[in-house]
Amino acid sequence: MSDFFTALGRFFLGAAGTVGSMGVLLGRILSRLVRLDLDRHELTSNLYNMGVRSLPIVFVTALFTGGIMVVQAAPTIERYGAHGLLGWGAGFGTLREVGPLLTALMISGRVGANNTAELGTMVVTEQFDALRALAIDPISFLIAPRFVGIVTTLFLSTIFADVLALVGAAYAGIPLLGVEPSLFYDGLTSGLLGTADVVHGLVKSVVFGVVMALASCEFGMTTEGGAPGVGRAVNATVVVTAAGIFVVDYLVSFAVR
Amino acid sequence: MTDDDPRPSLDEMLGIDAGPSFDALKAPRQFFGALRDLGRVARKTVHFTLRGERRPGAVAQQMYEIGYRSAAFLCISMGFIGMIFVYQAGLQIRRLIPDTSQLGATYLELLVRDLAASICALLLATRVGAGIAAEIGSMVVTEQLDALRMCAADPIDYLVRPRFIASLAMTVVLTVIAGCVAFLSGMWTAYAFFSMNPRTFADANLVDLGDVVIGLTKCIVYGAAIPIISAHSGLVTVGGSEGVGQATTRAVVWSSLAVIVLNFVISTIGYVLFG
Repeated sequence: MSDFFTALGRFFLGAAGTVGSMGVLLGRILSRLVRLDLDRHELTSNLYNMGVRSLPIVFVTALFTGGIMVVQAAPTIERYGAHGLLGWGAGFGTLREVGPLLTALMISGRVGANNTAELGTMVVTEQFDALRALAIDPISFLIAPRFVGIVTTLFLSTIFADVLALVGAAYAGIPLLGVEPSLFYDGLTSGLLGTADVVHGLVKSVVFGVVMALASCEFGMTTEGGAPGVGRAVNATVVVTAAGIFVVDYLVSFAVR
Repeated sequence: MTDDDPRPSLDEMLGIDAGPSFDALKAPRQFFGALRDLGRVARKTVHFTLRGERRPGAVAQQMYEIGYRSAAFLCISMGFIGMIFVYQAGLQIRRLIPDTSQLGATYLELLVRDLAASICALLLATRVGAGIAAEIGSMVVTEQLDALRMCAADPIDYLVRPRFIASLAMTVVLTVIAGCVAFLSGMWTAYAFFSMNPRTFADANLVDLGDVVIGLTKCIVYGAAIPIISAHSGLVTVGGSEGVGQATTRAVVWSSLAVIVLNFVISTIGYVLFG
């Protein structure tokens, strides 16, 4: 029994330590961002690698997500005969929860994991020390551009995914329920949904982006133990990002009505 | 797995230096090539599952690795999902009609039919998929797979088969456990925020046989797809430690994408069959 409590205590102390060092990292990144002290070239190449090259995945995910929303809503809609509410139901779910959440999970797999692997490889091959030896600040050269890149990518991808998911849902409604896209659009704009719902989802996407960027940079920078260590760091990043996204989603859902 | 035979492009054969030209067919060609390899891995895995040699302990160890060690992560995430879902749904229902008594029944139906299996599979795709790809990928780059072949052990029989069986069993088990956690946390949210009686909330009237069949089918299909896709992306690892990083990323992305696409396919078929 005491083993159990030792393990539990160690788990919570470890989690607290990780969250604390992420907070310190956030402070250091923000101090660079306020002074606009970040490498422009790294920023553009990161934005391209993270943002533009994730577009195909976001595209496929969003279209299918829209379809899934309609398939799942279909039995309930049929039961109440509320075909006019399909647009509202799908739009509400997509804009507030599913759009930001699924985009974040997909981007976390592609961008977050890749970022940790890159930074981790740099750390175990002592490239960070080389940067410091050349008097280049690793935070403003490597970390801050990646932070900005991930947050921007997730924010823009979520807008993109929201639109595509609604298009996917509108066209999935035709064969499944016989709901024409015009009726879908009417349900979407009938006044039950407002700008607040869209903003709610976009606020979430920014918060998810911050969590993902901090987790992937933190685990990448603290990698130790050669190539197996990089694998462990990548695994830790995807797990912590996924769990963190759900926990933060819960908190934001309450904070932003 | 792939024998890379870079054929000269038309530009190269004609001696035109077009610079970094955009090859429109490259991505589809790579995609279908990967799909063919994936089919080969899947076929061999099923073959060895049916008639491979039994090594005591191998499957149990993978069950511990895939199942037991993912349980806490899944339960925490699904618990939060349950709270978010019921809170948001309750808020919306109250905007529309004042009667929230159907909330629990609808939530349970959705949980059984889709939410439990699909969200668990997305989470398992990140944890289990990344783990399998990293393990097999680092074995590939350190030439341990060649060593296995030299010992006349087929890597798919030795490495992929135990993971496949363990994932198949454990995805079902974990989905049931995490689904219960999500339902209980949803019940608590309904009680705390909408003051709904837990007895009213725990209403299984809307769950019928079709929902259970669709939910279980999803568990089994995801449980089969995730290890095969991740093992494939581990097996085709090239290069050193960067290659392992890429393999991990690829495993997570393709497993998640497969879960989403399969979800759409199974849900549509289920809706057509059961209504």
